[in-house]
Amino acid sequence: MNLDLVATGTAAAVVAAATLRAATPILFASLGGLISELAGCINVALEGVMLVAAFAGVITSAYSTLWFPDAPLWLHPWLGCAAGLLAGTALAGLLAVFHLELGADLIVAGIGLNILAQGLTVLLMAHLTGDKGSTASLASFALPSLRWPGIGAVPVLGVLLNGDEDTGHNVLVYVAMAATGLIAWALRHTVFGLRLRATGENAEAALAAGLPVRRLRYAGLLLSGLLASGGGVFLGMGYLTLFQADMAAGRGYLALAAVFLGGRRPLGTVVAALVFGAASVTAARLGQLAVPAEVVFMIPPLVTIAALVLVKQHQRLATRRRAAAGRAALLSP
Amino acid sequence: MRGQPLALVLMVMVMAVLTPAGAGARAADGRPQRVAFFVNGALGDKSFFDSAARGLRQAKADLHLATRTIEGGYDPTRWESGLVDLADSGDFPIIVTGTYTMGPLVQKVAPDYPDVTFILFDGVVDYAHCACHNVYSMRFRQNEGGYLAGVLAAGLMRTGAIPGAAPGLVGLVGAMPIPVINDFAAGYVAGAQDAAPGITVLRQFANSFSDPAMGKEIAKAQYGQGAGVIFQVAGATGQGVIEAAEETGRYVIGVDSDQAALYRVSSPRRAARILTSVMKNVDTAILRALRLWQQGRLPLGRTESLGLKEGAIGLADNPDAALTVPPAVRAAVAAARQRIIDGTLTVPTAFAGGRP
Repeated sequence: MNLDLVATGTAAAVVAAATLRAATPILFASLGGLISELAGCINVALEGVMLVAAFAGVITSAYSTLWFPDAPLWLHPWLGCAAGLLAGTALAGLLAVFHLELGADLIVAGIGLNILAQGLTVLLMAHLTGDKGSTASLASFALPSLRWPGIGAVPVLGVLLNGDEDTGHNVLVYVAMAATGLIAWALRHTVFGLRLRATGENAEAALAAGLPVRRLRYAGLLLSGLLASGGGVFLGMGYLTLFQADMAAGRGYLALAAVFLGGRRPLGTVVAALVFGAASVTAARLGQLAVPAEVVFMIPPLVTIAALVLVKQHQRLATRRRAAAGRAALLSP
Repeated sequence: MRGQPLALVLMVMVMAVLTPAGAGARAADGRPQRVAFFVNGALGDKSFFDSAARGLRQAKADLHLATRTIEGGYDPTRWESGLVDLADSGDFPIIVTGTYTMGPLVQKVAPDYPDVTFILFDGVVDYAHCACHNVYSMRFRQNEGGYLAGVLAAGLMRTGAIPGAAPGLVGLVGAMPIPVINDFAAGYVAGAQDAAPGITVLRQFANSFSDPAMGKEIAKAQYGQGAGVIFQVAGATGQGVIEAAEETGRYVIGVDSDQAALYRVSSPRRAARILTSVMKNVDTAILRALRLWQQGRLPLGRTESLGLKEGAIGLADNPDAALTVPPAVRAAVAAARQRIIDGTLTVPTAFAGGRP
């Protein structure tokens, strides 16, 4: 094989592996956003859910060594992971109760919960560790990475599958991919998926058809909490191994944008999340090429705007085509 | 950083009652004088603000002042009103605040409260264009610290002691291209060039002070290109850089506080990756200013520039990484430091018009 080709391929694989890493938290959260959006309950609290999940995961994994000193080492990160998923889902459950039981506006309650999550995590962190910035003083754990044995030496593919340091991708990266497939399938091919979508499309009709709309919406919001928690746990126990105040850094909102950018469809959402991940990775690498920082930071928002325009344009064309086809069908004898 | 405001207020009140007579400065009514520290952000950044808070705590212990810290949060629209509230309350004859962004706000507020003394650290007001006789500002020559970091990083690269790294490459991760960070960078680049002419300095900003994931991504990209040492000037974002150093087996230089000390207990492996930290001793500078103020010798109405010579900038000693740096590189850093203190070496700065 041509040496240049291998070098280029390896460089591309490094970027692809980094994109996967950077996109995973957004991917998790956007899948969550998609499910609740399809159930007719937009979940604005994704950002807060991620923060709470990351916090609970990191803190639990660190404290678990104190609580269970005799437990094997591999157990601590998984305990943290469970706690993170639980805490994030609980926050989404809170949103569901506010909206479905108490009639609170989803957007207002969601933003409220985001602010609550921001403050609460810092408050608890200050209380537990005496530190308001990060949990650097705690020895917390990361979830394991999965490394494909025996392909480290294979050019390009080795880097792609095992990352640039040959340590493998975090297990949650694979979970995110699996979740994507599972959700795309479930939404399309299961009764639950159909009912969930029906609830979102037209709640009254669904109710008239005898669907338990409220219960389905609970399911949608709780599932969205669970998925977004996966993103939070990955941030604190995979991507990094610490909790930092406000570490979600807008990824929850980006995820929400990815849902709409993807046309509220699973595949589109995944592509949008990957685009966001790629945009941030590109931003992280372009600076090396003496591109001014200001230009670099314009890339993610520019990509978003460009993609939104393109999607809108595409939809308009599709509508026009459908209308034209409809007219043609009407006019034909 | 156990800065629960309530506890602090309580402590201030207790202090006010319990301080033994005859100790330190007092107002006319015999109570300790009150100092307010306005943080335009939040404590817990492991570097800049935490260092300042340390200075205030020291001042409370040594100078018997009653200190109170007010965290203004990261929303810039609240800073001016927060500052005005403090000045207007009349409770605090002296207000300490910092950062480059607060400069213009102090400049706006100070003339309206001539009886209040303002200490502005790491920022300046334009004395030519405001009646700021009640403002003392101090600027840090962080470029001098950056220079030493550059000499260290480039010197280490030249010895080829870092496996897998490209010899002609060092990195820098900044939070945002603001003057203070650019100043660190200017010194770093100059130091690296002087220690190893022709060396390439990779430079990238994270556009955030609190996104360690982005910091890690950038650092991985730089280490991946072959940088053996990265100087991170990125606040909390820099923690991601430190994690990347641990994972890739390369090195990082910390900033503002001794960042190796943070990890020494929780993660010794990570601490060993931190060669040193460029310390910006905001704490000692604030303590010094408050002491001068207490003695009535604080040079109000002007800016002081503090650097290596004044002990306001320095390198932290990290015993965990001591073996990594060969004696020759160590000597080069010490020599550069001496030349800067002697004045025989002037470090380039990112500030327009150089230094006051």
